[in-house]
Amino acid sequence: MSRQSLEHSQGTDIDPISLALTQNRLDDICRQMGWVMTRTARSPIFSDSHDFSCFITDHEGTLVSQADGIPIHTGGGGFTVAAILSAFGERISEGDVFVSSDPYAAGGNHLPDWVISRPIVTDGQLIGFTCNRAHQSDIGGGAAGTYNARATEIWHEGIRLPPLRIVEQGVMRQDLWRLLLLNSRTPDLMDGDLRAMVGSTRIGVERVNDLARELSVGTTVEFIAAILDHGERRLRSALKTLPEGRYESVEYTHTDCFEEVDIAIRAAVTIDKGHATVDFTGSDPQMRGFKNSSLVNTHSAVYLAITSYFEADLPRNGGAFRAIDVVAPLGTVVNPRPPAPLSMCTATIAHEIGHSVWKAMAVADPERACAGWGKSIHGITAGGMGTPSPWVMYHWNTLSGSGAVKGRDGFNQFGHVGTLGGITMHNIENYEQRYPVQFVRQEFRCDSAGSGEFRGGTGIDYEVMIGEKAEYSFRGEGLIHPSGYGTNGGTIGEPGRMTLTFDDSAQIEAPQYGVETYAPLQLHALSPGGGGWGNPFKRDAKYVLRDTLDGVVSPEAAETVYGVALSSDRREIDLDKTNRLRDVNTTADA
Amino acid sequence: MSAWIRNDTTPTAPWRIGVDVGGTFTDMVLADANGTIHTFKVPSVPADPSEGVVRVLQTAADAWQLPLGSLLGDCNLFVHGSTVATNTMLEGKGATVGLITTRGFRDSLEIRRGFRENQWDHRRPFPPVLVPRYLRLPVGGRIDRNGDEIEPFVPEDLEAAVREFQLEGVEAIAVALINSFLNPVHEQACAEMLRDIWDGEPDLVSLSSEIMPIMGEYERTSTTVINAYLAPRVVPYLKELNARLASSGLARPFLLVQSNGGMTSVERIATRPVNLLLSGPAAGVGALNAYRSASTTDNLISMEIGGTSCDVMLMGQGTVPVHDELMVAEYHVASPAVNIHTIGAGGGTIAGVDDGGMLFVGPKGAGAVPGPACYGLGGSEPTVTDAQLILGRLREGPYADGSISLSRELAEAAIKQAVADPLGLSIEDAAAGIVRVVEQHLLLAVQRISIERGHDPRDFTLVPAGGAGPMHGAPVGRALGCSRVYIPRHSGVFCALGMLYTDVRHDITRVFLSTVDNAEPDDIEAGFTTLEADARKMLAEEGFEGSAVRLARELDLSYRGQQWVVRVALDADGGRDPADIRSRFEQEYDRLYGHTQPDGTIEISNQRVVGTGLLPELSLGRSERTTKEPVPLETRSVYISPENGWQDIPVFAGNELRPGHVLDGPLLIEERTTTVLVGSGDRLQVDDADNLVLELQTIDS
Repeated sequence: MSRQSLEHSQGTDIDPISLALTQNRLDDICRQMGWVMTRTARSPIFSDSHDFSCFITDHEGTLVSQADGIPIHTGGGGFTVAAILSAFGERISEGDVFVSSDPYAAGGNHLPDWVISRPIVTDGQLIGFTCNRAHQSDIGGGAAGTYNARATEIWHEGIRLPPLRIVEQGVMRQDLWRLLLLNSRTPDLMDGDLRAMVGSTRIGVERVNDLARELSVGTTVEFIAAILDHGERRLRSALKTLPEGRYESVEYTHTDCFEEVDIAIRAAVTIDKGHATVDFTGSDPQMRGFKNSSLVNTHSAVYLAITSYFEADLPRNGGAFRAIDVVAPLGTVVNPRPPAPLSMCTATIAHEIGHSVWKAMAVADPERACAGWGKSIHGITAGGMGTPSPWVMYHWNTLSGSGAVKGRDGFNQFGHVGTLGGITMHNIENYEQRYPVQFVRQEFRCDSAGSGEFRGGTGIDYEVMIGEKAEYSFRGEGLIHPSGYGTNGGTIGEPGRMTLTFDDSAQIEAPQYGVETYAPLQLHALSPGGGGWGNPFKRDAKYVLRDTLDGVVSPEAAETVYGVALSSDRREIDLDKTNRLRDVNTTADA
Repeated sequence: MSAWIRNDTTPTAPWRIGVDVGGTFTDMVLADANGTIHTFKVPSVPADPSEGVVRVLQTAADAWQLPLGSLLGDCNLFVHGSTVATNTMLEGKGATVGLITTRGFRDSLEIRRGFRENQWDHRRPFPPVLVPRYLRLPVGGRIDRNGDEIEPFVPEDLEAAVREFQLEGVEAIAVALINSFLNPVHEQACAEMLRDIWDGEPDLVSLSSEIMPIMGEYERTSTTVINAYLAPRVVPYLKELNARLASSGLARPFLLVQSNGGMTSVERIATRPVNLLLSGPAAGVGALNAYRSASTTDNLISMEIGGTSCDVMLMGQGTVPVHDELMVAEYHVASPAVNIHTIGAGGGTIAGVDDGGMLFVGPKGAGAVPGPACYGLGGSEPTVTDAQLILGRLREGPYADGSISLSRELAEAAIKQAVADPLGLSIEDAAAGIVRVVEQHLLLAVQRISIERGHDPRDFTLVPAGGAGPMHGAPVGRALGCSRVYIPRHSGVFCALGMLYTDVRHDITRVFLSTVDNAEPDDIEAGFTTLEADARKMLAEEGFEGSAVRLARELDLSYRGQQWVVRVALDADGGRDPADIRSRFEQEYDRLYGHTQPDGTIEISNQRVVGTGLLPELSLGRSERTTKEPVPLETRSVYISPENGWQDIPVFAGNELRPGHVLDGPLLIEERTTTVLVGSGDRLQVDDADNLVLELQTIDS
């Protein structure tokens, strides 16, 4: 990807009005593609959890516009199209459609995310691609539902797709299509979802073609370049608000999926004249389990962490990303050598990469610091394999608490950093209709949130009865060790916990990672809390009172952690005592 | 106080009156026995909206030198659209609500299913939860997924909760229990007990199984809570207003416009105030109904543009789609609501250049205060109105009977500083650019509600309304490929007018979980029969029987596994024939998405009945034709379009144009509350209803 600087490119002769109109229109086309996808896809992972993203690239694969979708997909686009270009080069024709997934051979982020890419050819000239990256319901491999926590090689994780031409000049390759479906435990879902993906890219190509014909191909290409330049200027101007310097941090994961071991992600963020270099040199070597981050995922996680530090309306395209360099040494957890497994990386270790970058930026600019988000614990339960109605259920309703920022508490139940909260959870009533389960509880935890002037999210107390023998894929990253770090004097959130109770009352701790088959059981999970921002003794006492009334902070913690004492009926603040408690603390501070 | 009369001849009794209380103005429209329309406008009184209602009525009565008693006495239909519910939400001034939930699920309301409008905006908190956790109290008892009771209801839990509610001053109670859409027995047990142990009125208890018995506890709970939150604020207000008007001479109680675009009685709304949230804008359905016959088409798209926002609504073959999804002040409401797409684009929308050098227009607006820079009320950021002034489409000087005056100098300064200089453009080119970008937003908004719903906008007539709509009608219509734009003369009181052409309507729903092929035809029929009996009863209570009642059956369908349902209309006695259901579904699905899944399993999720109480028809009156040639006020240099640039064009006063007039653009028409731009090659005709019809020159011709 080109890295030339654009400090002085503003004075071109491009009509700024037409440029604005073109940018709005490309963004709208991406949004329309996403709309088609959510309405027509089969698997609930798209309509509810938005685990897909629609995007447009230029003819070299540089991301131009992206809408909807999940933040951890941001920035992966270019790599995919670059792999198609290098595989097919001149032999790409109008009416072709490509599918690809492999992180090592096809610019993929992880195996379950398949990308459908369709060239935009206007008046015989290739001007770009419309693409849709979407998480498939099942791609074979060692566990149903795409997450094989026992994987030690990528082959254990499912079918690997190099760039494949699935539609050749308008004609679907039925043999290839059947091959893909044959490798899934849920071929019906895959068939419907792939058709929805193909359909969304078709709408995209039609719309971009209309635009290019109106503007002329030459002007369209020029405008796309100008849109990328604009993206770069915006991000550079945001980065210039940070003091220049080199900021270091480290974040750990405490298991390689097989045994307890501390694995470090070390990030050094250098801010220099509106440019950021994120250097992971010193991070630990790749691990045995499936949490290694593909290079694409590492880039995406860095882009996500940096852009989310600033205004929400920043462009997130290949132009903006020219303001960021990523150094990820080969053979480490952030850029493994094949055949290291890596399906888990979009959640963990994207979360850790995000945390490491946020922590480093917090050194540069503490006011805007983001406290840590509780790591995810949501596993998957699957059953009915080999019957006409196989089912795969994600325990989304165990999402964790997020971290606080200045001005707002953490969200009590929100999801991992890779989603930035963009996961919609299910109504349990819908889940009870769809799966052989019955829910017992989904409520906030007490005294689990990291404390602070703004406290972390509480995490959730979740309990469900699963009525059939089923296979469980455990992904309990947020268990055992606390993960939502505090910042600016805030404290870390409580870790998660998961227990399984069987019909004979036997009870076990769930494995943190692993794939197991169990008879009917009751699964009880406590998801981790998020971290707090700022000194808890500075938290507005009326919010502390409200938290105690709400039962998410105990009266004891109110006193010891926040320095807020309550009246005997616990409905009011004991002002005198509170002042005394808080004075002592302030004095001790000084 | 500014008031104005469109037609000063005394109306012929009996008449209908519609009053729309908006945030800024209270509008009144009276249609007399001849179909002649009279309109009045006074400033709203936010502190007491009913005061605005009485004032606008008094203004009309004074204008005709009628006693208020006669104005109301000769009124045979009084319709009210009110923002009182919406404002209660926007201002966060609803009641203190207590919520009863199933044990284990207290927090569904606050978790909000994690739904984010824009996940990148992660620093933004959710809006405050309407019921704090300490007032969301659990009761034991559980209904399973088959609707069977697996744990009995625990009355002691409810008693404990009510004690807490009494201590905390709870004004209204919402009850929303898991799976109550399948079996409401526990919710009903709560309601029964509450009558004995709670001091409040039974009307202030909202049961989710009654308010909106749909599957999905979050949306059902949120809707029920909002109903409870509104009840103590909205219902007494409506009852008092009704009493006040009755004592002033109104013979029949007034009717209210609901979110579903139909009307209902005050009595009925007393248990369902949540259905009032879209009361004002939903009356646009009636307005489109009114223009259907005059414009001789059943395919209309309205684009009502005010100061900061634009509401787009589509009527296809005479029907405006009704959905169960509504978002008000960031709160989720699952109550039947016409599909209105709103974007931040209006006269007061602010333009600027970002720090990467890109022009943006909106979504932020300058509001009524300070308003556009050219108002001289302290606004310094350039708006769309400022751009229109630079382009000659608005003129300098006083507007709206002198309440505002536009300054070209201020508009120029604002545009120069914020847009022209940063982009290296002339002030005129910058102004033209601002208008092009805002018109692109309008275009995309209309496309979203048309093309994305499987409608081809070229088959539609565009109806621009609101103060700023008629300026954008021709350019947006042309970009859409419409051949015709219909500009109501009363575009400034679009919704108030619509109220007079609105029928009574009730949407009722029942969950029905099966597949089309497996469902027992008798079960489907029994479900519809039950819903129809309910609808007939509701309509009978409001005075509609026999041929004045129309019932329609609908099913919510999807292919297996899909989360989005497609609503499919059946025949009046339809539902027994799976092949018929399949073919209707496939037809609608294909229209929406361009393909079907032959032999795909089709799931049913809900049965619906729409009960309509038909009002006697009222047609738009006809005005007399004239042969007198219209004379322009002036000739002005105006920027027409990127293709046609600046030209000297005639400017007509609206009241100079009468039915029978045909004029070729480009030209401008200055109405009292709006300005109409007619482009080059467009032909303007004034129709017999005295509205303005533009035949557009399309881009290709």
